[in-house]
Amino acid sequence: MIARAVLCPYPPLLARELTGRDAVVPELHAACAEAVAWLVRDAPGRVIVVGPAPSTADWDPGARLDLSAFAPALKDGGKPDLPLSVGLGALLLDQAGYVGPRIVQAVGEREPAARCMRLGVSLAAAAGNGAVMLVLGDGSARRSVSAPGHLDERAVPFDDAVQRAVRDGDLAALAGLDPGLAHDLMVTGRPAWQVLAGAWGPGRPAAEVLYADAPFGVAYLVARFEAAGRERGGDQRGAVSVSGGWSGAAGVQRWSRRASFQ
Amino acid sequence: MDDRAQAVAPGAPGTLRTPPAPGVPQGPLHLGRTEFAPGQLLIMAIVNRTPDSFYRPGITWDEGAALERVHTVVAEGADIVDIGGVPAKPGADVPVQEEIRRTVPFIRTVREAYPDVVISVDTWRSEVGRAVCEAGADLLNDSWSGFDPRLAEVAGEFGAALVCSHAGSQTPRTRPFRVAYADVMADVLDRTLALADRALRAGVDRRRIIIDPAHDFGKNTWHSLEVSRRLNEMTASGWPVLISVSNKDFVGETLGADLEDRLAGTLAVTAVGAWLGARIFRAHNIAETRQALNMVAAIKGDLQPARTIRGLT
Repeated sequence: MIARAVLCPYPPLLARELTGRDAVVPELHAACAEAVAWLVRDAPGRVIVVGPAPSTADWDPGARLDLSAFAPALKDGGKPDLPLSVGLGALLLDQAGYVGPRIVQAVGEREPAARCMRLGVSLAAAAGNGAVMLVLGDGSARRSVSAPGHLDERAVPFDDAVQRAVRDGDLAALAGLDPGLAHDLMVTGRPAWQVLAGAWGPGRPAAEVLYADAPFGVAYLVARFEAAGRERGGDQRGAVSVSGGWSGAAGVQRWSRRASFQ
Repeated sequence: MDDRAQAVAPGAPGTLRTPPAPGVPQGPLHLGRTEFAPGQLLIMAIVNRTPDSFYRPGITWDEGAALERVHTVVAEGADIVDIGGVPAKPGADVPVQEEIRRTVPFIRTVREAYPDVVISVDTWRSEVGRAVCEAGADLLNDSWSGFDPRLAEVAGEFGAALVCSHAGSQTPRTRPFRVAYADVMADVLDRTLALADRALRAGVDRRRIIIDPAHDFGKNTWHSLEVSRRLNEMTASGWPVLISVSNKDFVGETLGADLEDRLAGTLAVTAVGAWLGARIFRAHNIAETRQALNMVAAIKGDLQPARTIRGLT
């Protein structure tokens, strides 16, 4: 079963070289780094990287993202390149110093929910015990008039619902996200979150939101899930200004942080 | 005279030699009733008939103000007046009839005031193209990469000139979202050259076809810088190249400059573009652009300096 999972957004600007002299949104970088460091901290058996792409396919775990597609000035040498989502996932793992086994799985942007769930089930089964998951996905890119996708009034409520579901470890709610609406709202994360829902299986995770903001009109969400019963008592780790700690022992573990999209 | 004094013969054309560009030589460009030779660097002055364009929105929304602006830009040396009724960015919808209402009467006004000025209309829609050509427009300036394929046919039918641009996979009035290219310049060339060939087949006069990389359209700042750097690959095609860089976001992002602080960066890209062979420069700041282009033309040897006596008295 999947012991831990981390949700990260995948804007190209997460690759530091792409933002020029200014290290934009350092808080986002920090939250992603913190989450991924936690994900790989206890030498997982395997890391499954899941992210949306034009089509569903698994990729060579040794492949990396070619940044020159976004910035020709950064031409590196024409290595085989990954789709942006899993490419950034691979980059985050590299930056965390993770050198263990990986599975790199792209899920098609238009895959129906049921197929995403089944993909998740089979990934978890194939990965075996001690596997963890890094799930790449964003909320809506249509949150404001200056957002890349301009303004759609349904975007903010959609993102708020996703954030609530993540905060509550409510994978059933993620499984139930409407693919058509998500596509209209330029919500890239929908298929990947549904793969996660399938992979996690029964049992609500203990969840923590480390970052939830939309500084450029695109909703970025960083969160972590841990299988109930596997948490460490009194673990205070968390990025940004998180207060409190894991509560309770058995049963549903809940972490509630007052993070909300601006 | 010693050897150094012999190196430059005043008055001799082409004496200040630039390295010859590989590829197809540039030919004459016909716009309206005027023929422009390859060495002539043309300014296309932006006159937007919109309340909400990105630069100084609404400044020429009033028709009186718009006509004043035309007087000014013509006096400052603009060769083309580019009239647009719809902003490039997303926003309030502008239906075809509204776009026509914003542009056609004004075109007639400008044509009456200036029988010979080249009138360009910034539109992607063929219905608008037809209406503005009927009103006297000479050039259809399509920034959206032939989104409406019938626009080329309208240009052919009316004997108008046509701009063939690249916008990646962007549809009109959308912003780029994580756009990526294996080779942006190759993509720009493929698209613009294909549109140029299509324009020929649609009956557009060979001397009235222009190509434009369309900085920032379907491109991030890195892509726009790359296109600027490799612009010679477009001019080598032989088609006249238009660049529209004025006050654009790639200038702002490169310099960390707000909208009102991008003139110097704009002129720098303009000068590089002129050096690499572009011939039409779409601009907000006409007088400054004219000076920058004249400087480049003089360096190239295509323009006589205004008055040189220093060291010669």
